[in-house]
Amino acid sequence: MLGAAGSTPLQPLTPEFSTRPLLRPSLSGSGNPFSTRMLLPAMSPNVKARSALAAASLLLAGPALAQAPQADAAQPEAAAPAQAQPTITKPPELLQQVEAQYPPEALTQGLTASVRLIITIAEDGTVSDVQPTEAVGNGFDEAAIAAVRQFRFSPAEVDGVSAPVQVEYVYHFTLNAPPPAEGAQAEEQEAPKATLTGQLISRGSRSRVAGATVRCGDDPDAPEALSDADGRFTLQVPPGECAVRVVASGYQLYQTKEQLKPNETTEVNFYLAPSGGALETVVRSERPKKEVVRRTITRQEAQKTPGTFGDPIRVIQALPGVARAPFISGELLVRGSNPGQTATMMDGVRIPILFHLLGGPSVVNAEFIDQLDFYPGGYGSQYGRAVGGIVEVGTRKGAADTLHGSVKIDLMDAGFFLETPITDGISVAAAARRSYIDTLLPAFLPKDEGSTLSVVPRYWDYQLRVDFGAKRGAASEAEAQEQAGGARSSGYVMAFGSDDQLRVVSSGPKVATDIELDTRTTFHRVKGDWTYRKGALTSVFTPYVGLDNSSFDFGAARQDGRQYSVGAREVLGMELSPMLTLRTGLDLVYEYEEYDVEFPAPEDLEYVAFPGAESVGEMLKESISLDAFDGALFLEADVKVGKFTFTPGVRGNLQLVDDTRNLALDPRLWVRYAATERTSLKGSVGLYSQAPETFRFVIEPYGTPDLVYQRAFQTSLGVEHRFTDALDVDLTGFFNRRFKNIVEPGQIIQREGGTFFQERYSNDGIGRAFGVELMVKKNRASAQDKWSGWLSYTLSRALDGRAGPKPARDGGFGGGFLDDQDATFGLSPWDQTHILTLVGNYILGNGWELGGRFRYTTGRPASPLNHTYDVYNSERNGYSPTYGPFFSSRTDGFHQLDVRVEKSWQFQSWTLATYLDVQNIYNASNAEFLTNDYRYRKEYEVPGIPILPVLGVKGSF
Amino acid sequence: MKALLKYGGLLLALGASACIDIDDQPSKVHDFRVLGISTEKPELMAPDCERTPEALEVLTSEVRFRALLVDPAGGGRPIQYTLWACADVEDELCADEANRVKLAEGTTAEGELSLAIRPGAATVGEDIPLLLRVQEADPFKGLGGIRMPLVLHAVAGDEEVYAQKLMVFWCPMVEGMKENVQPVIPGLRVDDAPWTVDALPELRGEGPFVMTADDVAPFEETYVVPGLREESVTLQEAWEIAWYATFGEFSPQVTGGADLGGQKGKHRTEWEPPEDAKEAREVTFWAVVRDGRGGMSWVSRRARWSP
Repeated sequence: MLGAAGSTPLQPLTPEFSTRPLLRPSLSGSGNPFSTRMLLPAMSPNVKARSALAAASLLLAGPALAQAPQADAAQPEAAAPAQAQPTITKPPELLQQVEAQYPPEALTQGLTASVRLIITIAEDGTVSDVQPTEAVGNGFDEAAIAAVRQFRFSPAEVDGVSAPVQVEYVYHFTLNAPPPAEGAQAEEQEAPKATLTGQLISRGSRSRVAGATVRCGDDPDAPEALSDADGRFTLQVPPGECAVRVVASGYQLYQTKEQLKPNETTEVNFYLAPSGGALETVVRSERPKKEVVRRTITRQEAQKTPGTFGDPIRVIQALPGVARAPFISGELLVRGSNPGQTATMMDGVRIPILFHLLGGPSVVNAEFIDQLDFYPGGYGSQYGRAVGGIVEVGTRKGAADTLHGSVKIDLMDAGFFLETPITDGISVAAAARRSYIDTLLPAFLPKDEGSTLSVVPRYWDYQLRVDFGAKRGAASEAEAQEQAGGARSSGYVMAFGSDDQLRVVSSGPKVATDIELDTRTTFHRVKGDWTYRKGALTSVFTPYVGLDNSSFDFGAARQDGRQYSVGAREVLGMELSPMLTLRTGLDLVYEYEEYDVEFPAPEDLEYVAFPGAESVGEMLKESISLDAFDGALFLEADVKVGKFTFTPGVRGNLQLVDDTRNLALDPRLWVRYAATERTSLKGSVGLYSQAPETFRFVIEPYGTPDLVYQRAFQTSLGVEHRFTDALDVDLTGFFNRRFKNIVEPGQIIQREGGTFFQERYSNDGIGRAFGVELMVKKNRASAQDKWSGWLSYTLSRALDGRAGPKPARDGGFGGGFLDDQDATFGLSPWDQTHILTLVGNYILGNGWELGGRFRYTTGRPASPLNHTYDVYNSERNGYSPTYGPFFSSRTDGFHQLDVRVEKSWQFQSWTLATYLDVQNIYNASNAEFLTNDYRYRKEYEVPGIPILPVLGVKGSF
Repeated sequence: MKALLKYGGLLLALGASACIDIDDQPSKVHDFRVLGISTEKPELMAPDCERTPEALEVLTSEVRFRALLVDPAGGGRPIQYTLWACADVEDELCADEANRVKLAEGTTAEGELSLAIRPGAATVGEDIPLLLRVQEADPFKGLGGIRMPLVLHAVAGDEEVYAQKLMVFWCPMVEGMKENVQPVIPGLRVDDAPWTVDALPELRGEGPFVMTADDVAPFEETYVVPGLREESVTLQEAWEIAWYATFGEFSPQVTGGADLGGQKGKHRTEWEPPEDAKEAREVTFWAVVRDGRGGMSWVSRRARWSP
């Protein structure tokens, strides 16, 4: 019983479900906002006090929404490509509310409090966990928790499926003034009124604060107003001084005083300070998983993980299953696969070139991403074209409330991001970036009279997204469909692209070799996304077109390439019953490539090379064109049987390149067993295919027209457990076998006419990898929680090589083995037995944030030198090594600590942040590779990156 | 572009390895080395591609084998050598006893080893011409010429070197083929002054001293070889010169050559004495030229350096 200390009976108020919609429409656009109010008895005959549960706020929010409320962020999992972020399609409704007991001691002392709670609502609507975000003491926490534990909600749905969700709930304990005397109400109605109207704006970001309560004073009976989606409110109160109190979840209590005149309207803007720093991950909900492993990186994590230069792709390297790439390379080496075998896509469209300047920053601007999903293996049937993993970059849609943006400047480049609503239901987001090292470099290049040295690296990239069909105020997908007449369409158009140029000119009397190099690579993609929902049917159609240009001028050699591509993906989902969901679709790509090349006849391709000084071949001129089609039809179903979910699927692949026709069928199966609400066992088995890139099919000997699909068999088994709402653990074992992979070069073949050629590529590549991955992730439980981070550990063994005999000639880079005695299958050069990564981020307060990343990996495999005599080849004027057993030793283990410090200043309308990201802060001398003296007598370690500080500045509004 | 991406990673690794301080540099001759091997003629071209007596006579004719052996710290010690011919170019030691022939052995001193040999006449097993075995072992079956490995095994004290030279046997498989001519450096210059074999120029100070070769372009041959795709391919030599000294270092160590775009390098290099050198001395220099198709020769020069 509430108010045990008082003598007056309790007077519970009926919950007012419609008056305090504190729902953030950014996430689902729906929800059943509610508040409850409860009267308390007078404390004593002298002090007539009342206690009230003044405002209980239910917020539904998605991962890492730092600023703009966004509507209709994604599509249901049932049909959508997996890049969509989770959407709460049906929010929980409070069905049973239990009143809290006012702590007697606090009541006696006349204390009030607001208890902010994180409530975990189980799949069936019961409250499975309640945690205060910050203890307020005096018995308030215990009283609020005890009451909330007895609440009961309607089950929430995430992407159309019942799922556990978390909500933030503020339980207010206040004391009421004595009841008004009889007749006072009539007087009040006749009394003059003052109007306070205005807008609630988030300090530092200018986001509109929706669902906040505005009132004068602490009296729960006083009139109050609720801010709308634009943060606007209007409050009518008696004139005089108003002690304004603004209560909004995720923000500090805002208090000010306004003098209100009778019958006048006072217009104000209140800037609310976000509580707990920039990260506002208040509520998390998990998309239902069918994949055994899907790891999600939020934008915040992508931007703030130390040692990654804020590069989203490089953050993936800190996840389990990914081997450390050398130096600062962003290559993704997933579960024993080789570079190029993991596909990276932006909203379902493959990104043709991942990194600027041959391994520089990735073309994915961190400002534009919403989140990254990483599938190290065992991914769904809608994904293909990879025998390693999949990285899906989900882009960010424009803000629905007002104009926001940011400008970022660092050592390499500067860029901006802008997002704004255009009209009702249409928003736009745009980002662009350009390097300026080409303007800085001349200051550092040596200057020599009579000589010319010019190095001009330059890159830019852009992303643009226009969204339409937002739910426009509808509370849920069902409501939105109802408003739209039974079916609803939404979608967006997105364009992205990048350009890289490198020009190097070196000439002069003192220069040994005059060099003139000019390269440029550009790509553009425009894609649409049309989502149609009607009842249990969801269709997502994603067409796209692309244009790639590449040019290469080096001396007399020249190559101009153009690639036109058009593709489409259709994913159709149908929830036939709660036990059965079907997904099917098509994934088609057509490419037309043409190349104009002019170059001196290269050795080993046009004539048999002689070792040593290469002669200059006669000039050859070719125009080559290729048509290529790669299509897939896929079908999968989720079948729920008790605690089991079975997802059988199949993907049929067809590749046509000129006269070559390849077929591959990839059956797959996933099983998930929900042992408890917090624990799941999961497993997968399946085949995966990756079509060779089109350019590999050009005429012999420059290509190999009869290549077939690269294949992989992937299987995994794991368990995941959620210890608390903020602490997840995932342990997964895997075994992968790759076969028919492309290696270079192939065998030397004699034609019928007696001439020879060496196959440029062959499908002889094979590989095998097995291991165990552990991921322990600590999220921030609330805005007040200061810690977040993860521990990632992989124990694995990766083997690689070729199935056929060693080619008679290596024929250049790649596919080479050390000598004739070597087996053609052995340890992968990327094998790392232990891969440990620790990432932590701590909010120090006052705008300071500190992050760290520590990595340890086993050293790279190496073949020991076994020198007893020199072996000299006088034709090529070089020596040959004598090695011990192939990859029988390793370099020393790699260890490195990276630290990032950020300080932000929050001004009224914008935020300024500066950061220092220091790689290898204790300057560890790690061996990336081994090299040797020219006679192969002694080994030397090639050191990795030394201590490397990078300073950056970012302003956002 | 894909290739460029791949090479970009390699360049990064090479760039990093360039940061490593490796004491032993190829241009600094301080112990027993073989700096070059040549045969005169550099290749034997039969008058036709049939097994005619005329063709066999040319292919089995005598050639002069020369090896430049340097041993600056050896004090004139004896160098034991054995010269083998074998079948497989991948057999850099001529270790396959069934397919090798000993052409010569003996003891010599540092300097130029000169031997008269008839590798084309060598036979293995039951009188099988080694040339046939070479052709069999060649994955291109002699389309690039029959390249017989000659391996010189030289031992000086506890230092041991296996040095391979390819003796090329050709026949006119396509129109326009002609026998290779030995490349010869027309002349050297030091700090733009002619540097003759008898001269002993004075080099003072820490340098660098610019050393160049006279223009070799007029001597770089244009030649024709069988093609892998077309019937024949026309090529032009791009000579490389490797520079050596008994004291100090060259940078670059190899000049000339051509890159992927056909851009030829200049034969200009800089020699610097060691930074901590205090005493004047006489320095021996060598320049070894290669034409990229089996032709090779060298010149030696001396200079007096003082701090």
